[in-house]
Amino acid sequence: MNVQRLGRAFFADPATAAGTIIVTVFLALALFGPLIAPYSPTAQNAELIRQPPSLSHPFGTDRLGRDLFSRIVYGARDILALAGGGTVLAVIVGAFIGISVTYLGGWLEETVFRLFDGLLALPALLLALILLGATGPSRANVLLVMVVVYTPIVARVVRSVVLTLKSRGFIEAARMRNERLGYILWRELLPLVAPTLAVEAALRFSYAIFLVASLGFLGVGVQPPSPDWGLMVLEARNEFALAPWSLYVPAAAIALLVIGVNLMAEGVRRAISDS
Amino acid sequence: MSQSDEQLHVLQMARSEVLAGRMSRRAFLRLGLALGLSAGATALAACGGTAPAPAPTAAPAPASSGPSGRLRVASEIPVQLDPAFASSDAEILILNHVYDYLVDIDAGNNVIPRLAREWTISDDGLRYRLTLASGVTFHDGSPFTAADVVWTFNRLRDPALQLPTADLYANIAEIAADGDSAVVFTLSAPNPFFLYDLSDNHALILRAGTANPATSFNGTGPFKVVEYRTENRIDLAANPAYFQTGKPAVANLEIIFFADQAAAVDALRGGQVDLVLRMPTPLFQTLQQTAGIVAVQTPTNGFDLVRLRADREPGNKPEVIRALKLATDRQAIFRQVKAGLGAVGRDSPIGPLFSAYYSEATPLPARDPAAARALLASAGYPDGLKLDLHVPDSGDRPDLAVVLKEQWAEAGIDINVIVEPESVYYGDNGWLEVDLGITGWGSRPVPQFYLDVMLVSGAVWNESHFSDAEFDALAATARTTLDEAERVRAYREIQRILIERGPIIIPYFFAQLSAHREGLRGYVAKAFPGRTDLATIAV
Repeated sequence: MNVQRLGRAFFADPATAAGTIIVTVFLALALFGPLIAPYSPTAQNAELIRQPPSLSHPFGTDRLGRDLFSRIVYGARDILALAGGGTVLAVIVGAFIGISVTYLGGWLEETVFRLFDGLLALPALLLALILLGATGPSRANVLLVMVVVYTPIVARVVRSVVLTLKSRGFIEAARMRNERLGYILWRELLPLVAPTLAVEAALRFSYAIFLVASLGFLGVGVQPPSPDWGLMVLEARNEFALAPWSLYVPAAAIALLVIGVNLMAEGVRRAISDS
Repeated sequence: MSQSDEQLHVLQMARSEVLAGRMSRRAFLRLGLALGLSAGATALAACGGTAPAPAPTAAPAPASSGPSGRLRVASEIPVQLDPAFASSDAEILILNHVYDYLVDIDAGNNVIPRLAREWTISDDGLRYRLTLASGVTFHDGSPFTAADVVWTFNRLRDPALQLPTADLYANIAEIAADGDSAVVFTLSAPNPFFLYDLSDNHALILRAGTANPATSFNGTGPFKVVEYRTENRIDLAANPAYFQTGKPAVANLEIIFFADQAAAVDALRGGQVDLVLRMPTPLFQTLQQTAGIVAVQTPTNGFDLVRLRADREPGNKPEVIRALKLATDRQAIFRQVKAGLGAVGRDSPIGPLFSAYYSEATPLPARDPAAARALLASAGYPDGLKLDLHVPDSGDRPDLAVVLKEQWAEAGIDINVIVEPESVYYGDNGWLEVDLGITGWGSRPVPQFYLDVMLVSGAVWNESHFSDAEFDALAATARTTLDEAERVRAYREIQRILIERGPIIIPYFFAQLSAHREGLRGYVAKAFPGRTDLATIAV
């Protein structure tokens, strides 16, 4: 499958196209946030506490008089950078371990994957809470947690593909040619694992968004006053009757982004499996 | 929030537990959320002589025809119902209606009679003789006598039992019955706050020899336990033989447990409960706009404390402490974080409710971020300061941290806010170690508690590591003197010192926020909601 066809896959049908557009809009918000947001996401205004949506504040203001639209725009940066960064790192580490360890096999494979099975036995959110409880909340630690939580999943998926490839003739042939290990792993195996990896990455990304938002909501993720969407939902919980928009806005942003990523990922998966 | 999140208990119990160092910080917090009332001056003045029995402050609702109706109160979930160990609002609220204290503390922070109807204090302040009410019986029908009081207090102070009250009552040399209807406490050293100590949350009078204090529920109080369903509710019925006429006003009391304050507020709005004793600010503001609900705010002396460790850099530089104070706009914080509920603070725990002691004689410098920046430069921080601010996730404290971050940024102080669950903030005494932190302190009926456990050199909870010889001497004077004028002078000087050089900022004092449905009569809010007298309420 070439790049052009992959590109077309993003708009293959209306649902996928809708997903792609949603994700693109959020990406644009993240990239050009400072140009789009009318206010600083942390600037407080004691005179404008809990203002309903208006022309000057399209999403209203929160209990400290901060502009919710600006917070959503800047929050898109946080969540896309964290979830995206965590996904990319987990995919890289997971692919590396999955391909190399599975190919080498033996006691190394047994040890590593039994360890991963152990990690997978714990629910992702619980594992994340334990790790963040131990390391303390910060952006870097949230990233680290996502790598720890998602690497075993990616590695397992990769392993299932490598296991079927490992005994195939072309690998056997490469070995007979005395190709270097690196060549076999990255030139022979990786390209064949790549489509599966792409689908897995898209799927992981939507889970990662949920995880980042959940950690924020539980108060162990990004710290205030950062405009983290999950944190905004948490902070708006008791405010609901006074300023319902302060809850609706970040909750809707999380839902929309996750739906967008899922629609897009599903389209990509279909395009790849068709080819 | 865990607003969240916070209540306190009345002074004495906390003081005992703190001094003993046995009470977990978590337990303290649960208590500590409550708020404080006004000055204890009346009671202190009484220390020198005979205290006449003050009239009850809350007139019971009309009770001419005996108790009638049913009162349903929302509460958090009680865990421990042995009076010696109970500490939270939920626990004390139940016990306060099953048992009686010797003396009580009213909403104005005055000591008032309960089982002890009057008392005399010797001129040297060492001998307290209390006369007990007559004709009082326990719920099982047995008569109440001085022997029950002696047994109860001997239990509370027995070092072998390791109860949290042992230290509080360590100053008692002897407790003796004087006939059946009087009891005499002899102290080792004068303690002007002893009557408050007698009303410690734990000091509910049990029948002598009670074998299972956590489950017997054999008190003298206004209500008898009908059924206790763990983690669900407790049903009580009026005690027809209660010794205080006119109480209780209702025939049935149901205390219904909620794990979540938002759920309790919803139950009030839905008519499933009649009274909610505490809640976070936004829920209170919601109820203020709700028809059929009466939202009640009561000022207290509970406060959030922003404090910097003064025993190492950067807090050991006086310029840094002055800079933080200059960078802070307390009025704005009060409006934004507390929605104007409560009172603005002046960096001293001796709040405006302690009217006999509170002083505005020392001016609080106006906010001046530029001057703060200059002070930091002169202290060796020309590029400003960068500090982690640790804050528990309860109450409005995370909001306070965020507002401070904005204000201090103008003075070149860059704050990294770290919100932690209370169990982490207080766990392993981390809160006593960090440089910059925010701690919630509950209301107490007298201010000496705060000085003794929070600010005196080496005090158990001296989280700012403040050590100041002049301050220590003044606190010692206030703690022991029987001369009220001297105590007033000491407290005024203490407020001056804390404004000038105390490594603490107290931006506001909380209000106690409660609400009930319209038609409830006789409810008087207390700073520590668990000590609310439900026996005066009529439906």
